[in-house]
Amino acid sequence: MAKTTLIKGPVTHELISSRMRLLGENREIGGHSIFLGQVRADIKGIRKVKAIEYSAYEEMVNREAESIKQKILSEYNDVRSIDIFHSTGVVMAGEISLMVLVSAGHRQHAMAACDKTVEMIKEKLPVWKKEIFEDNSHEWKRENLA
Amino acid sequence: MEIRVLFFGVLTEVTQTMFKHYRDVNSFGDLMHRIQDDFPELVHFDYRIAVNSEIINEDPELKNMDEVAFMPPFAGG
Repeated sequence: MAKTTLIKGPVTHELISSRMRLLGENREIGGHSIFLGQVRADIKGIRKVKAIEYSAYEEMVNREAESIKQKILSEYNDVRSIDIFHSTGVVMAGEISLMVLVSAGHRQHAMAACDKTVEMIKEKLPVWKKEIFEDNSHEWKRENLA
Repeated sequence: MEIRVLFFGVLTEVTQTMFKHYRDVNSFGDLMHRIQDDFPELVHFDYRIAVNSEIINEDPELKNMDEVAFMPPFAGG
């Protein structure tokens, strides 16, 4: 299981495909469920979001991510692998800022466990986002509904 | 004792810093008073506090070199 949770900048297509390639070597896996969070160009009044700058409490993120993985593994015994990658720093609209990849023997467990992992990330990971608008003004995003 | 205090998210704009060292701290209450004196605007913000990256629900016993983090509501994803 991948150790690094926080990565600088966007989650790249190369990272996603390299993880998929690696998981192909595990022949007990029958299904993957993947969630990719993408930065949305929200419009607020006359301003449009061009990017989000993420910051995080790294030590606590690592601890909480490990705790989430252990909880999911104990709850879904068919799950073989859980990857969590979250961006820090600037991620432009249209780029990926979160990848959750859960692999299991069968699809039901992969899909349910992936969904639960994403919910727990939203609730428990100490990450904050600052929306940067096209006019270079900014605003800290408060609610965690995205 | 010496305590390292961290600020995150919108709170960094209130404090204009991401961390600050406090020396000769007697207790958690003493630390909180000093932080509130330094940054009175903090009272207007929601936050939770973690000590050594664990969220606390009541006043903890601090040890020398502990890390105390002020965290606004999480917004990951």
